[in-house]
Amino acid sequence: MRPDLLVKPSSLAGLWKALPSLPRDRRYLAGGTDLMIAAGHGHAGDCWIDISGLKELKAFRETSSSVFIGAGLTIAELAEMTAVKKWLPALALCAPHYASPSLRNMATIGGNAANGSPCADGVCALLSEKAEIVLGLKGAKRKMPLHSFFLAPKRTALKKDELILGFEVPKWRHVSAYEKLGPRSYFGISKVTVCVSAELSAGLVKEAVIACASVAPVPLLARKAAEFLYGRRLDEGTISEAAALAQSETSPITDTRSEAAYRKAMVRVLAVRALSKLPA
Amino acid sequence: MKTAVNTVSFTLNGEKKTFSTRPDEKLLDLLRREGYKGTKYGCGQGTCGACTVIMDGRAVYACLLYAMQAEGRKVRTIESMGTHDKPAPIQQELVAAGAVQCGYCIPGIIMSATALMEAEKDITDEVAREYMDGNLCRCTGYEKIWVALRKTIDRAAAEPAKKAPKGGKK
Repeated sequence: MRPDLLVKPSSLAGLWKALPSLPRDRRYLAGGTDLMIAAGHGHAGDCWIDISGLKELKAFRETSSSVFIGAGLTIAELAEMTAVKKWLPALALCAPHYASPSLRNMATIGGNAANGSPCADGVCALLSEKAEIVLGLKGAKRKMPLHSFFLAPKRTALKKDELILGFEVPKWRHVSAYEKLGPRSYFGISKVTVCVSAELSAGLVKEAVIACASVAPVPLLARKAAEFLYGRRLDEGTISEAAALAQSETSPITDTRSEAAYRKAMVRVLAVRALSKLPA
Repeated sequence: MKTAVNTVSFTLNGEKKTFSTRPDEKLLDLLRREGYKGTKYGCGQGTCGACTVIMDGRAVYACLLYAMQAEGRKVRTIESMGTHDKPAPIQQELVAAGAVQCGYCIPGIIMSATALMEAEKDITDEVAREYMDGNLCRCTGYEKIWVALRKTIDRAAAEPAKKAPKGGKK
């Protein structure tokens, strides 16, 4: 279903105030790059709330310990920020592989999470960077680790009318590698993605986070593999064992984009590549 | 809070315009209905780039925007580029290189190329390719489009006096 009504609040306060007067069947529209396609298949409500005018969602804040990125920032806007390059290297690395330039100009990082897809590129990067997601509903705010936001394919923890306000990412001295396997080098939806962020100290892994996309019902953290890496040197044997662990944690399916067995095999390959690529 | 008044006002190719529309009308459909038929409908799902227009200095797909989302913004279509008698440099070079076969992708190619040239300086092939990533051409194999684009970029770089473009993304 397409919108019968399209409203555009100019502030968050205005949005919360207007909600009771809007038709009950309603949904938010940000960049629209997922939603507009789904609209053709009858997924939408009859009132769409265009949140692209909300300045609050374009916020970018930096504290001594964390970086907050507003949900309404587009992938292109994020990719251009120096603070993103510095504190969110995985997100910066993922940007060129995120759809196409025009889509990056439209798509927002909040929408990437709200869509609830296990293949979301931006989500995979943010997961590896230990992001938390900040949600708002009227005056109330809540925050949760990004991985617990995803419940099942296309199902998230969002309550009715709740809005993703942004993502809080702790500042930690990590390096990242982003390995995406799609139908071609650029502009494709991932068959498998493995994103690794790690803090290294004197050649040893102090902390590692491995995020995988398109290989589980939700964007996945390969915890066993990450734990295994703790305190180890990233030599060939360690990398190979960690990659095998990551592979064992995935449960890919066969769909229009790829086959389960191929995906399963490729998790290991991409994990090896990502771990080998981490700048020392 | 702005409620649905079912009209939309935006700057189209430098002119302030107001159109009547419906909440579910795509920007692409509005443009074509109003006679701006240079912007093409290709895939309708943000994959092919035939409907690329420039909004506030950035290339976007008009098939993935409702017309009402353009409210208050600056939209540029292929009609803002050169004419038959006075083609823009990129248009001249595309013709000279023989890069236009069926021509359906060309308006989108030109808009993406324009966004590229207005936003970036010292354009490397890599950056150019990244910008052109979202525009498919099913005739030419891209090679002649690259030749034309490279020539246009180099020509512009050789004419520093004509720099400082308006409406860049910064």
